[in-house]
Amino acid sequence: MTMTTTASNGKAATIKKTFSRETGVSIDIQADKSIIWALLTNANDYPRWNSTVISIEGNIAKGEKIKLKSTLDTKRVFKLSVKEFEPDDRLVWGDAMGKRVYTLKTIGNGLTNFSMNEKIGGPMFPLFAKMIPPFDQAFEQFAKDLKNEAETISKTK
Amino acid sequence: MTKEQFTKEFEQARPQLKSYILRITASVQDSEDIVQDTYLKASTKLDSFRGDSSVKTWIFTIASNITKDNLRAKKRWTENVTDICKAKALSNPSYFPEVMAIHQTSPQGQFEMKEHITFCFTCISKSLPLEQQICILLKEVYDFKVAEITEIVNTTEAMVKYYLHTSRAKMVNIFEGRCALINKEGVCHQCSELNGIFNPKQDFEIEKNKIEFAKKADNPNREHLLDLRIKIMKEIDPFNSNGSALQLHHLEHNRDVMENSTEKNEE
Repeated sequence: MTMTTTASNGKAATIKKTFSRETGVSIDIQADKSIIWALLTNANDYPRWNSTVISIEGNIAKGEKIKLKSTLDTKRVFKLSVKEFEPDDRLVWGDAMGKRVYTLKTIGNGLTNFSMNEKIGGPMFPLFAKMIPPFDQAFEQFAKDLKNEAETISKTK
Repeated sequence: MTKEQFTKEFEQARPQLKSYILRITASVQDSEDIVQDTYLKASTKLDSFRGDSSVKTWIFTIASNITKDNLRAKKRWTENVTDICKAKALSNPSYFPEVMAIHQTSPQGQFEMKEHITFCFTCISKSLPLEQQICILLKEVYDFKVAEITEIVNTTEAMVKYYLHTSRAKMVNIFEGRCALINKEGVCHQCSELNGIFNPKQDFEIEKNKIEFAKKADNPNREHLLDLRIKIMKEIDPFNSNGSALQLHHLEHNRDVMENSTEKNEE
């Protein structure tokens, strides 16, 4: 299975290889892309709606650097740079070890497909692979929280 | 629409417009200037008004644009604005003699808790991003519909919904953390402290229980407490209340302090 065929059911899938590991999740959200994009790019608002994020410091914009603290490893601060920033469509951040890609696609009837993939790896990957916790559960929770928040906003009258 | 018709509608909207701008800028002078600029700008553009929206929506659109331009270069305030400004007031020996003089001589110099609560909302909402502050005021205090706000702030309906939802969530969160009226651990007791200074004979508990959201502080529905707080905002005209002279002086003081603050502002 490749990440491009991840089902839009909010279930995460992971592909493990010798020199890399890739986890993805996809989910359909009943909300406009711009709402989801606003949630994904407002750094200091993440902890309010996303239970997998402790904090994000910095400005999520092209070329900016951010500091992410996640429930995946509460003692670590991930120093990441925003590599791609295409409003309402695609956001990529990462470091030398890997990158996380967020994509949004309008699929009609007010639905937006959200997908999130993270690939980590490199020549040294086999040495530290066991020290990196699995992402699946956190990815599923991220997608669930995003869907919940975006759909709540969408229902605002 | 003739100029006379427009002027009549403008005058009807003027009190709300002026209080809206005051609550965004925290400046009496700016709110007066912007209301006047809005009238002049709209008067010269009457031909471009096609009636797609109400005159009130059109006026608020022009005023909001002027206000946004006015605030563009200014820093947003911080959530702890009341702490910062209280410290400045306490360190200024002329501050309390000044406010006591207003209290004793002005016909609008009474101190009322409800008015201070609206003052507090104004200060705290200036810590929100500007678009969020504008949207929450337009929707919750001035009763504009989402579609009208979309036009006023020139964005999509989806983004207005995002701004509204996020601003409400932030305001709930800030008051929950700070306001001693709803949280016994809250750090801000300013309204009760000032009430003790200006109305020393009043029983604070009795006064507190006259405020519905404080009376219902144990209600787990914190959104409802925010709604009750906003209800007070809707009932009070900050330029024409029993204590407007006192609260406007207080607001001017806070604006001076925050605009001259050298602290790095967090967006």
